[in-house]
Amino acid sequence: MEEKDKRLAIIQTYINKMPSLPITVSKILQICNDPKTSPADLNQVISLDPVLMGRVMKLINSAYYSLNNQITSLVRAIIMLGINTVKNLALSTAVVAQLGHKSNFQALNIDGFWRHSLCVGVTAKLIATRRKRDPKSLEEYFVAGLLHDIGKIPLNNKLPTEYVEGLALTDREHMPLYLAEERTMEVNHCEVGRLIIKSWNLGAQMGDTIFFHHFLDSYPGTHRDYLLTVSAANYFANANQIGFSGDRYPEKLPEFVFTELGITWDDLEAIEGLVTGEIEKAKVFLQVSE
Amino acid sequence: MAIRLTFWGVRGSIPTPGPKTVKYGGNTSCLELRFGADDRLVIIDAGSGIRELAGKLLANDLKKGPIRTRIFLSHTHWDHIMGFPFFTPIFIPKTELEVYGPVSFEEDPLEKVVGNQLSYRYFPVRQEELSATIRYFALKESEQDLGGGLRLRTKYLNHPILVLGYRFEFEGKVLCTAYDHEPYQNVFDVAPDAPGYDAEAVREGAAAAAGENEKVSQFFRGADLLVHDTQYTHKEWLAGKKGWGHSTFEWAINAANKAGVKHLVLFHHDPDRSDAKLEEIVNGYRAAIAGKTPMQVSIAQEGRTFEV
Repeated sequence: MEEKDKRLAIIQTYINKMPSLPITVSKILQICNDPKTSPADLNQVISLDPVLMGRVMKLINSAYYSLNNQITSLVRAIIMLGINTVKNLALSTAVVAQLGHKSNFQALNIDGFWRHSLCVGVTAKLIATRRKRDPKSLEEYFVAGLLHDIGKIPLNNKLPTEYVEGLALTDREHMPLYLAEERTMEVNHCEVGRLIIKSWNLGAQMGDTIFFHHFLDSYPGTHRDYLLTVSAANYFANANQIGFSGDRYPEKLPEFVFTELGITWDDLEAIEGLVTGEIEKAKVFLQVSE
Repeated sequence: MAIRLTFWGVRGSIPTPGPKTVKYGGNTSCLELRFGADDRLVIIDAGSGIRELAGKLLANDLKKGPIRTRIFLSHTHWDHIMGFPFFTPIFIPKTELEVYGPVSFEEDPLEKVVGNQLSYRYFPVRQEELSATIRYFALKESEQDLGGGLRLRTKYLNHPILVLGYRFEFEGKVLCTAYDHEPYQNVFDVAPDAPGYDAEAVREGAAAAAGENEKVSQFFRGADLLVHDTQYTHKEWLAGKKGWGHSTFEWAINAANKAGVKHLVLFHHDPDRSDAKLEEIVNGYRAAIAGKTPMQVSIAQEGRTFEV
């Protein structure tokens, strides 16, 4: 237990100053140091970086007091906070990343993690579109998907040795990653996610998805739709091996997920081309022009 | 008389002393508010104008006892805090000051953001050497009871940093500030063939901007006195000042009128605006609205007092 507390303390310190993903840093710097940045570019680069997305959500929701009115739309956040504030916030997270370790991604492969996160975000949004959810909420599905594995970042960066062990364990025993995390570190990425949710003031749609996406059976809350959609998207990403976030042997998705959502596996297969297209577009966008 | 407002600084951006601004004044933002029969003091902003307010406090208030007051900062851009080291009560023991203002995402607290102007590299006296008791409080959108029947509401405005507008209510009268502030814009509304055009974002942005503008309007609804940013004319704003975080005369007059404001005070004059030009512009608008609204429109002027 003592060992676990020590680990959690290390993780909490890291969360307070979490850097952007190395994969987006150069583009963030390019966009934010350009005095003529377009809001569309700013919007796009933030939506491709789970850490930055989380920090913008944190700022907007901690600055604006009305708790019954959690803001989850990035477009709205940029308009309310202003381009200048969002740009400077983005720069500050990118600079932390630059100052950090040469490689602040250790056990997990950064490109794989990023592709996985983006894939789940895009897929969740496409599922929600297909299910004709309120157009205003589509962005929330994307963000919930993008952030669902955010808890892996601190574990991967601050406990790299244990994380490598955890990944090896999943391979050796064919077990889901969250269980391997518990075996090697006594804490899984959902619990770490909960610390981040708290630190960033994330709304319940995102918070519940992050914390419960491996514990669907025990979910007591009211954001079931988001949780199930992201879980289906997560399963789809893993099954099709779009990106890789360490979960080679995930638990089978409970059947009620598809029944409740009213979709089939074929529906998901049908959007695969769209998903990979979106990821490639993002990849091209992130290339820094000279 | 419930509320008395005296301007000690009305200029935006930077002090502009000189013959062209001698009538309305060249000091940056500072408002002295007095409430009720006992002249309870509240200060808004610590721009360069606060130095002269300090002189008045030392001459009049100090003989009645130590200075105990609150300073509410609209935001921490330099023109709104630059006078703080010259606010002489901070050098007097027994002064008790509470400084309130918004802080952004940076980790530095208000004490550093404002108080670090008193550091070796900028000023001969360091913050640690001050004899007054100064306490700092980060402020968000909120409502609070300041005691003695004085109530305060704050509202975020649109500027390149977090800014708060203040709404003071006392004995049935309302004084409100809405500066520095540019009406919220749908920045995503670009031409459909522009790179990154996103119809969904354009729709969402339009709803967000309209919603926020409505909240600001609600915030100063029915104010007896509204001090509003009017740094630019509409023409100037269109010609390269979009996104700078300031309003136009046209916007302020229309928005205040629509919200049933009784007396609008035009504030945060552009540093390049001469007295003559300012009067010419405002006289034009006065003529344009004459007979169409009962709302009174005045120009904020250093040393001038408004009562409600």
